[in-house]
Amino acid sequence: MNPLLEVENLTVDFWNQNRWVNVVSHVSFKVMPGEAMGLVGESGCGKTTTAYTLLGYRRPNSRIDKNAEVCFDGQNILKLPGSALRRIRGKRIALVPQNPTTTLSPGMRVGRQINEVLAAHGVSGGERQERVLDLLAHVRLPDPLKTAQKYPHQLSGGQQQRVIIAMALACRPDLLVLDEPTTGLDVTTQAQILELLMHLRQEQGMAMVYVTHDLSVVATICDRVGVMYAGELVEEAPTGELFRNPRHPYTRGLIASVPSVRVPRQRRRILLRGYLQRDQLPPGCRFAPRCLFAHESCFSDKQNLVTAAENHQVACWRWSEVPQLATEIVEELPQPEIVSAPKGAPLLQVDDLNCAYEYHRASLFANPVAKLVVRDVSFDIRPSETFALVGESGSGKSTIARTIAGLLRPPSGKVTFDDQAIAGKVGARTQDLRRDIQLVLQNPDASLNPRQPVLQIIGRPLEIFFHLRGKELRNRVEQLLDDVRLDKTYVRRYPGELSGGERQRVAIARALAANPKLMLCDEILSALDVSVQASILELLRALQAERQIAYLFISHDLAVVRSLAHRVGVLYLGELCEYGQVEEVYSPPFHPYTHMLLSAVPEVNTESRLVPTVRSDAAEGTGSRKTACPFANRCPWKVGKICEDVPPPLQQVSETHALHCHIPLEELRQRETWSKSTLQTAKS
Amino acid sequence: MIIRLILSRMVLAVLTLLAVSVFIFWTAEILPGDIAARVLGREATEESKQAFRDRLRLDRPLHERYWLWLKGAVQGDFGVSLVDQSQERQVADSIKPRLKNTAILGVYAFALYVPVTIFLASISALYRDRLPDGVISLVNLVGLAMPEFVIGTVLIYGFAVKWSLLPVLSQIQRAETLKEILNSTTLPAVTLTIVMSVYSIRLLRDSLIEVLESEYIRMAILKGLPRYRVILFHALPNAAAPALNTMALNLAYLIGGVVVVEQVFAFQGLGSLLVQSVFVRDAPTIEAVALLVSTVYIAANLFADVMSIVLNPRLRTG
Ligand code: SF4
Ligand code: SF4
Repeated sequence: MNPLLEVENLTVDFWNQNRWVNVVSHVSFKVMPGEAMGLVGESGCGKTTTAYTLLGYRRPNSRIDKNAEVCFDGQNILKLPGSALRRIRGKRIALVPQNPTTTLSPGMRVGRQINEVLAAHGVSGGERQERVLDLLAHVRLPDPLKTAQKYPHQLSGGQQQRVIIAMALACRPDLLVLDEPTTGLDVTTQAQILELLMHLRQEQGMAMVYVTHDLSVVATICDRVGVMYAGELVEEAPTGELFRNPRHPYTRGLIASVPSVRVPRQRRRILLRGYLQRDQLPPGCRFAPRCLFAHESCFSDKQNLVTAAENHQVACWRWSEVPQLATEIVEELPQPEIVSAPKGAPLLQVDDLNCAYEYHRASLFANPVAKLVVRDVSFDIRPSETFALVGESGSGKSTIARTIAGLLRPPSGKVTFDDQAIAGKVGARTQDLRRDIQLVLQNPDASLNPRQPVLQIIGRPLEIFFHLRGKELRNRVEQLLDDVRLDKTYVRRYPGELSGGERQRVAIARALAANPKLMLCDEILSALDVSVQASILELLRALQAERQIAYLFISHDLAVVRSLAHRVGVLYLGELCEYGQVEEVYSPPFHPYTHMLLSAVPEVNTESRLVPTVRSDAAEGTGSRKTACPFANRCPWKVGKICEDVPPPLQQVSETHALHCHIPLEELRQRETWSKSTLQTAKS
Repeated sequence: MIIRLILSRMVLAVLTLLAVSVFIFWTAEILPGDIAARVLGREATEESKQAFRDRLRLDRPLHERYWLWLKGAVQGDFGVSLVDQSQERQVADSIKPRLKNTAILGVYAFALYVPVTIFLASISALYRDRLPDGVISLVNLVGLAMPEFVIGTVLIYGFAVKWSLLPVLSQIQRAETLKEILNSTTLPAVTLTIVMSVYSIRLLRDSLIEVLESEYIRMAILKGLPRYRVILFHALPNAAAPALNTMALNLAYLIGGVVVVEQVFAFQGLGSLLVQSVFVRDAPTIEAVALLVSTVYIAANLFADVMSIVLNPRLRTG
């Protein structure tokens, strides 16, 4: 059989600050008809650029080497004239890009956006409307007729992504290019999209190129995987083989860095140091600056893909020694200490907190009524403890953090910090209190002033809270930079000159500058690569040990939470449905919602492909009317009407672990399938 | 939701207009000196002055006169012109033909302005940083630097004096056939168009460039849509919203620019009427023209507001 797609020697440069910067270098791979090929790597590795080139797309201010070839079905896409390209795009090669919200045209009804593709590729008018409805039904959107009439902003993220998938499938393409299609979606939504993609692929037999940073997603969906680093393909193998026998040191590090929902906190180690610095690539192996096994010759000798086993290629001359070397190095690494949850009096106590984000007015002149997004939530955090709040978007977790930080005034409830009830608004708080509680947000870009150098950004709280000036201030800032593992020279840099991970570190350093007792971390890792994530997690742990900081750690990532938190609260639609010590929450009995979340997380599994099964996505639960158990609209184990009418009782599993559900604990214990289904994976 | 939004904008517009009318009336009436003496001249007899005051109800309190004036204005009665006492010329009568002429000029200029702006801005954005964009930007800069009377004069010199294609002075008041109307309005209209476009081409270009870089445009291209569809259906509607407000402001400018341009071309419109009335201190006419101009101005802004509400699907669908 001939390959459907052959990429040969693909080299792409971007014009950046008056010089050409190489982004993709000599990448070659093939995709057979019907095959799913994954491209993984951290941000900046060139995977997205590669993917877009497959559609003949070239970013403005970039150049593709003239020897490069992207052969699709016998024709070189890179040499095709515009009109021929137009006939292929959307018809034979279709794209599902990363961010559904910004991908759909905001001012056009979604049905029309699909219709348009059909029209562009010659489907007659009468047939089109029918096809659109068909497609919408096919991607399992409820009520296609109504959905087709909606504007993008009226749909949830998951539904928007379905619309885009429908759009991509409209002309039954031979090749589907997917660029991080589930990044930014909730786990449960992601699980459903993955399941849908698997199903569609089986049904239509199309080939896929799936680009992602998420190894577990690749493991779930792809037949073959190519690993990219700094623009080069460094390893390529069938999925099972790659995860069983990773050869390239980078691949090994990447796999080891992925936090797993199934591995408890104590078992983590970083195998990938540093991060990709494009301006410091050696002429030889581009990974050498970060490689634990680098030899002097590695820096100067270019590495090409060599065959390590059948179908398995790797660009590292030491590939055969690597597994052995790796075990040695692992043994040298210090064992991470096992920390138990601290005891003692709580630092922060939250009692029956209600939060409202929006105030709703019945009419223009009526008094605003609070629309509650958080209901009767209580928890506490002790010094040097990490309490995590998990839940999907819309669960109210960020609202809780903002309320504690004093950005929102809660309609009711009590927040006690260090034995004092704290006032709602920041303005009413004492200087000390403002110093003691620091908030770090998901998106460091939004919270760092781009026109201030790092010195000023980190220096500001030092001036305000400790009245440091001049030399003293500078010394302290440098010390803080060192704490977050950034070089002293960074004081002069501006946020624009830093990578995402570095900016997040600066944001953390700024929070640390206040010498807080409590740090509120709102999704601070979600925009970062696994290796950066791993090092920031490490940093947070170290800082906690050093300074007894308590963290309120808010995340949708159950694996990260498991690796960091001491205690966990699971939040659904603003209500705490389960809480306990971390290992208690991650083992049976599970609250049905916790169980659903855990089942939705794809896993790097070498033996079999587990497609997570989740039936409804987050948006479906929210629209409907309010029920006594907030989860009743989506609960797969719902008992019956009682769940809608009677608030579920709090059942105490242990002294520290409790959950709200009508199902008796004994039964919940038997119901669960998540940890059973994966017992063998945990062993391997 | 959307109805309420639009209604509230309308109420606001009416309130603004009322406030403006108070201001106009007040400034025109509060001019120092005895109006009667000013208008009738120093030699006028006390009797004729008194008769004049009676006719204008000058002895009544200001707020009462304002009320009567407003009531009349709403019905199209702006009182009697102070010029040429013998004829008792109604302000409305002298305004009407002028209003018609200016309206023709305005509509003509606006009809040129919108497509020219959209077309040139699109070209500029599509060929960003390349030759067409450079040429358009350069011409734009030159246009920005020249006030309307210079542009008008240059046009007159070129088209009327040098090539004799169009008349030097616009004879709109005598024009009857369409050809005559076009003949007498083209140069002033083009002048206005140029002055208005230079700002908005730049603005729409930048807004288009931003939209063209968006992910939904890239998606539209990668769906295999033809280029014209991408521009017409995906780029322009989304780029227009931010540019719309300047377009409306420009409409407002149009009214101011009209005064100057009408002078340059000796065009018999509202603008030249206003200038004449100011010379002879004809308060009722000044008030009437000012009120008309403000009405158009406020209406234009209201229109832009409503359009941007309607163009935004988030507001449209609640
Ligand atoms: S070639 Fe050398 S530096 Fe590169 S991955 Fe292999 S061992 Fe590491
Ligand atoms: S109370 Fe009912 S609906 Fe709620 S989680 Fe338990 S079984 Fe599900």
